[in-house]
Amino acid sequence: MPTLPKTVTALFCAAALTGVCVAQKPADSIDLSEFPAQSIDDVVVPVPSEVFGVLDKLGNPNWRGEQRENLGKQTGNRAQVALLLGTVIAEGFVAVEAEDPERVKEIGRRVLSLSKAINVEKAVLERAKSITDKAEVKDWQAVRKEFDGALQDVKGAMEELGDNELAQLVSMGGWIRGTEVLTSIVRKTYTPDSAELLHQPALLDYFSKQLGTLSSKRLSNDRFVVRVRKMLEEIRPLIGAKDGSTISLDNVQKINEMTRDTVVSITGKGA
Amino acid sequence: MRKSLFLFLPLLALAPVFAYVDDALSFAYEAATPFVKQGFNVREDAWGGDLGVKDKQAIQAQLFKGNNYMFCLGTDVKKAVLSIAIYDSDGQLVSEETSRPGFLVTSKVAPKKTGTYYAIVTVHKSPVERTGWALVYAYK
Repeated sequence: MPTLPKTVTALFCAAALTGVCVAQKPADSIDLSEFPAQSIDDVVVPVPSEVFGVLDKLGNPNWRGEQRENLGKQTGNRAQVALLLGTVIAEGFVAVEAEDPERVKEIGRRVLSLSKAINVEKAVLERAKSITDKAEVKDWQAVRKEFDGALQDVKGAMEELGDNELAQLVSMGGWIRGTEVLTSIVRKTYTPDSAELLHQPALLDYFSKQLGTLSSKRLSNDRFVVRVRKMLEEIRPLIGAKDGSTISLDNVQKINEMTRDTVVSITGKGA
Repeated sequence: MRKSLFLFLPLLALAPVFAYVDDALSFAYEAATPFVKQGFNVREDAWGGDLGVKDKQAIQAQLFKGNNYMFCLGTDVKKAVLSIAIYDSDGQLVSEETSRPGFLVTSKVAPKKTGTYYAIVTVHKSPVERTGWALVYAYK
């Protein structure tokens, strides 16, 4: 069988490899409209520390001053408990930023008791223990991971129980409390760069869509769900139309008031 | 897509075909492991699914200016060649490849703006008809 000279073979191989590499090299630009909407409409909800870390780089926030004294009380309303659980987990991220081990441990215990109220205690038992252990040795990176894991475990367990829609409220509760803290810090030392952290259109649209398409009429009409839905609608025009657009101090303050009032309604005496 | 990871869990015992999503997730976490030592926080939440050869999947992500992100893609099909690239909302490439396309791939992004970004997962080659994949991201 005739063989090609080695140099020619090598050239062919190199060309073939180059072709493969070029085919696998990402294009410098793409047309996003080519992708069907249903394939891109799901969003991973950022945890509060993704934003808090940026605030740390921009300044020196007083994280202890941002902690809520009262973690809130649960009622018999499952929507309220789900939202409250989200706010408590977000509070855990604040306590990590404040490097407050006692507070972190208290929050770990609260996560467990709230999980019990919605029958997903088993799913977070290990996490709660781990939160305490890691807070004890001040391994803050590990505590962050455990709070993130607790959030996913609770949601996963709720979805296994068929409570998919309620599980979304846990994420929303976390987002609302995280945004309250974010706006509280940004309004104190406003810069356009820090305010830009509020530009989260896909996330707001995702939450609004979730609440707008609830199959359970009872949940859809729940007063906490109605309140959150209204709050999201009111926040949407305040966060900038385009990536990179400036969000004013006035808008930051408005978002802070809206999220703060909503957190109070979830955690306060009126719950 | 992401929800499917959770929805699949109770079905795993009944339908082994879904196991590849879970396996792919383990590989995605494996791809992310080296970045933990560099101070990255690996998210517990993830996206996943399966794709045919030459298929692409777009995923939305909210990224914040000021953070650095690593996107880590994995599959349990070791002879498969996958890639991951991140684009901004105008469709412009913003990521830098930190590994060659393969069954464990990573890509990094330092967003210049806070907003919505799109991760594009592509299966270039695979010995199987549908290749299960999972994507996690880490931030610092």
